[in-house]
Amino acid sequence: MHLEIHFTAESIVIPSCSLPSKEVGALVEFHGIVRELEDNKALPGLFYEAYEPMARRVLKRHLLELGTLHPCQAVHFIHRTGWVPVGEASLYICVMSAHRGEALRFLADSIDRLKLDVPIWKRTTRPSKD
Amino acid sequence: MEITLLAFAASSDSFGFSSRKVSCSADDTPLTIVQRIAPEVNISSLRVALDCEFVTWETPIADARELAFIPPVSGG
Repeated sequence: MHLEIHFTAESIVIPSCSLPSKEVGALVEFHGIVRELEDNKALPGLFYEAYEPMARRVLKRHLLELGTLHPCQAVHFIHRTGWVPVGEASLYICVMSAHRGEALRFLADSIDRLKLDVPIWKRTTRPSKD
Repeated sequence: MEITLLAFAASSDSFGFSSRKVSCSADDTPLTIVQRIAPEVNISSLRVALDCEFVTWETPIADARELAFIPPVSGG
């Protein structure tokens, strides 16, 4: 399985989805968008912070394990860091597989795993400097 | 020896730093280090990691270079 994990402080640029093989029959994309309302309070955006070396390691382990449960051919994972205004994507995942079932299950499970123990945090305000 | 402490998200507010070096010995644990440098911090909701791997609060730090305090995650 081809796997790419990126963190970026800039707006997410959707990678060109060149198919890794002619056996790809499903390409599923997910965009996680920052919403305005959090606990019924309007926010201008969210601040994302990641412990990147550990996040990459933990996430890679999860995604490779999911690849054994739901065989896929390629996964692109991009997460924003820093300030993300309302309406912009904080998360982008693209999964390619032979059939839609594996790609859809992989996508859903990968988001569940992301929220399990991958060291990434969002805050409603920008943190103050040390 | 020295180890770098990393505090993320809400834990950086609790500890008052996001990164700090402290002196330690190989048989120190994350718990003994916190008890020494910030005994007032409530660690009940925190996990800890040594060199990017989750460990228990009682794990000796041995030759680890980074000790990270990991609050509940909220990515996505």
